[in-house]
Amino acid sequence: MNYLKTKRVFFLLVAIISIALQSCGGVPEETPSTAASDKVFAVAEILTLIAEENDITRTLYTKGIVGAGKKQGLKFDEDWQDDDVEAGPLPALFLRGISSDIRKSDIPLGLYLGSDFPINASNKFQGKQAALFKKIKATQEPQHFFEEDQKLYTSMFADLAVAAPCVNCHNDHENTTKTDWKLGDVMGATTWQYPSDSLSYKEAIGVINAYRNGTKAIYNAYLKEISEFKIDSTKPTIGNKWPSKGFYLPTAETFVDSVRKLTSYKSLEKLLLADNVTEDKETEGLAAN
Amino acid sequence: MLNKNPLRKRQYIGSLIGIAIGVVIYSILPLKQSENFLSLGPLNTGHEGLSCNSCHTDAKGNLLQQLQSNIAYTFGARKTKADFGTENVDNKKCLQCHDRPNDRHPTHRFLEPRFKDAIATINVTECETCHQEHNDTRIVLNDATFCVNCHYDLEVKNDPIDIPHKDLIANKQWSTCLQCHDFHGNHIYKVAQKIKDTISLEKIQAYLKGGEDPFSNKKKYQPLSEEEFLNMKKKYNTIKK
Repeated sequence: MNYLKTKRVFFLLVAIISIALQSCGGVPEETPSTAASDKVFAVAEILTLIAEENDITRTLYTKGIVGAGKKQGLKFDEDWQDDDVEAGPLPALFLRGISSDIRKSDIPLGLYLGSDFPINASNKFQGKQAALFKKIKATQEPQHFFEEDQKLYTSMFADLAVAAPCVNCHNDHENTTKTDWKLGDVMGATTWQYPSDSLSYKEAIGVINAYRNGTKAIYNAYLKEISEFKIDSTKPTIGNKWPSKGFYLPTAETFVDSVRKLTSYKSLEKLLLADNVTEDKETEGLAAN
Repeated sequence: MLNKNPLRKRQYIGSLIGIAIGVVIYSILPLKQSENFLSLGPLNTGHEGLSCNSCHTDAKGNLLQQLQSNIAYTFGARKTKADFGTENVDNKKCLQCHDRPNDRHPTHRFLEPRFKDAIATINVTECETCHQEHNDTRIVLNDATFCVNCHYDLEVKNDPIDIPHKDLIANKQWSTCLQCHDFHGNHIYKVAQKIKDTISLEKIQAYLKGGEDPFSNKKKYQPLSEEEFLNMKKKYNTIKK
């Protein structure tokens, strides 16, 4: 009897030790948990930072490439990727291209563009987005909320008619649902989504990089499309000159470099500011001690 | 040891038979010839002849490590489960071969809140909602009237077709959409301007069930072949190391 009891205890011990040992090691987790103290940015701060970069990028593309390019004879079209269409992406599709490229990265950032009077009906806001867009239209203030169904932190930012091509193209488009857009109007809104309420430096840098890489990817896709144009005289010279100087297009590096020059100062200031805030908190803590 | 109890001998023989069967299964099942037996069903159109491990790639770590991770997960020592044996086959896996910059309906587009109601009816955020594998078909939906979920209020100005979209929508003829429009937009073809010249519904239905491609044999982008995919993966893994 005693022998059996000892045996049972022995097997039980072996089982517990095995489970304990088994629980150590294994496959590293894909997303190492970041300590709460490393989360220095609120999600809305980073989405605001990246939405501002997006405004600058799209303004540069709309004015510097589409607006100036049209004057030189370049074409821009919804079906720019079709084989029989020799054109570049319209600004809305430029953004769609950035958004698609972000989705290919490991950064869980969502980016969408919508409006209450879109050219393509599938871009019309519905439900909560439609309600919040009314507020954005009235105040131009961003709207931050938590999308319960998707469990995603969501921010919407006004998308303004910043350049003449925005207004002219939308007013004159054969499928337009509104023909009296004017400069400065809130033509739509960008919607950004991220799954966490706060971000570490690494995660914030990841978001910025994903967006910037997306810009480069869609711009490169445009240049690749140009290289496949059938008639050589429709291909602009690609180098370091912009369409405002003639039948030229900047290389992806030149375009992205200009975007960086315009955006980096503000973005870096915001990133550094978070560090100062953290330091202040730490100093306050010391003082209290 | 075997003398202690006559039942011991039976246990011993039973164990040996069990181990022998285990060794046979372990050696035969991973063979290429066993793939048809292991497969849940015939592969979908275009995927015929692919090896299991083209999609069911090996999960990270060895079996013992995967077991360790999942035990740790069970006892709350880690936040995520580890794939056991092979990796989960998800959108990312499909897109490794089928990603195309010209996709008119990429899955990620439907993650936006405005498509919430539509995806409650048909979850187009996942490739497998329409293209579930191992069904010897192209799409697994019973009918191809899904366009209604997003385009129910479509208005086309300067409508180029003889029976206007407005009438087709009023008559709920949602099965006619695919007679002109290629859902993913990769075919190179001319769209008819008269309904009678469009692709017949029968041809579309046969196509969706895995039959001949009625749009065109020309496509702007081709998916990666199995060989290209494996080479890419090998190269990527080497870079990663």
